[in-house]
Amino acid sequence: MDLSVLERVKWLQQQQMVSPEFFEILGSDGREELRRVESYLGNNNDELQSFRHYETIDGCISRTSSFQMEQVKNNEENRVIALQNKRKTEGKTEKRENKKKKIKTEDETESSMKGKSNMSNSETSSEIEKRDYIHVRARRGEATDRHSLAERARREKLSKKMKCLQDIVPGCNKVTGKAGMLDEIINYVQSLQQQVEFLSMKLSVLNPELEFHINELSTKQFQACFTDLPEAVSKQSMMVDASSFPLHQTTSLDYSVKNSNQTISLGSKEQTSWEIHSQCLYNNLRTDSVSNFFSFK
Amino acid sequence: MERQIINKKKRVFSVEPNKIPPSEVFTRKYTSLLVPALKKLNMNKNSSQVNQLTVKHEVDMALALSAQEFAWSRFLLQKLSSSNNPTTTTSSSSNGIRIQERSGKEGGHEDGEREEKLRELQKLLPGGEEMNVEEMLGEIGNYIKCLELQTIALKSIVQDTT
Repeated sequence: MDLSVLERVKWLQQQQMVSPEFFEILGSDGREELRRVESYLGNNNDELQSFRHYETIDGCISRTSSFQMEQVKNNEENRVIALQNKRKTEGKTEKRENKKKKIKTEDETESSMKGKSNMSNSETSSEIEKRDYIHVRARRGEATDRHSLAERARREKLSKKMKCLQDIVPGCNKVTGKAGMLDEIINYVQSLQQQVEFLSMKLSVLNPELEFHINELSTKQFQACFTDLPEAVSKQSMMVDASSFPLHQTTSLDYSVKNSNQTISLGSKEQTSWEIHSQCLYNNLRTDSVSNFFSFK
Repeated sequence: MERQIINKKKRVFSVEPNKIPPSEVFTRKYTSLLVPALKKLNMNKNSSQVNQLTVKHEVDMALALSAQEFAWSRFLLQKLSSSNNPTTTTSSSSNGIRIQERSGKEGGHEDGEREEKLRELQKLLPGGEEMNVEEMLGEIGNYIKCLELQTIALKSIVQDTT
């Protein structure tokens, strides 16, 4: 991947990331400058690949401009731009602007650039980069076009979710690879569903003899059961929160517990059809008419 | 003693709902839904024996209603309400969303396996076939948790009455 910077810029242009104006601005002197830039950047391909355009390209661009900052200490503008570009998705114009400024600073400080200082600067700039910016890097030897980058981002999202699932499903840590984990997850879900079926069967068998007393199901019982769950429960609550578990909207489920009559009142603000259904459900429970219970629509 | 428990339970839901762990909220909702339902079932069908399927129906209904924040509960409700006789039929859409995993690193064979498994997972989750892969993976996590809590609640109900 030892493209010269010029070729890379041309490639970027083809990808419609750099407008043709840029080249005009560069002019012939600019192109020479770009070649010099390449030599300054050295053989570190990773750095050169920071020209890749992606959603978080602002990080890359800012990095390159902050790179300049180490050498050009009198140029405040670049620093401001670098700070402003934190985690924003840039428009094309901004990117172009940064590139322009980069080239300009190159012009100004051409004489002061030396190879050694560049290497040390690259280290410090990478520090700055780590502090401020997040970007997706095209690794060496990987395709860098838009589609592959998007695909890679998608894959990373998926793997993040798989990791979350790994925490939830017990016994997933030992298995490696997505297929194995998926297997485990499938087995676990199936076993849970079977358990539920079995328990409901048991309930149906025991049902005629049962007397339901909610007051007997004390909190202690629940908490004892909760401790059986793996540690992931706490993480799950985070996950559940992340899925917008609307606690503030949820209901005041205050139910007065009596032996004979159990009434439940539900207040809900959401107005979707199934919410209305559930309200009908509760209304029916309150009015003690069971016939509607099974046939609501 | 009963009074205390009543007060305790009332207190839990009153002022600061954010401090209640969602798992507890779910479980309470679930039991408060299921238990009266079972009781009514019991009372009503004292002539005939309680049908297993109806109990399962109630169980599923309680699950869906206790977890209305999640997409899969909507699908579950749809399924339950569309069929008065609860069966294990899947939803109407027969074409699942095709899972496409293009990966340059793995071979095509492994990809096929993974796709198959993802499809299986989709079938397990109610409404999974109508979601895309990312969404489904997120929903599966919630579903698993709710299933776990449901089993806990059911166990405690069963234990309680034996």
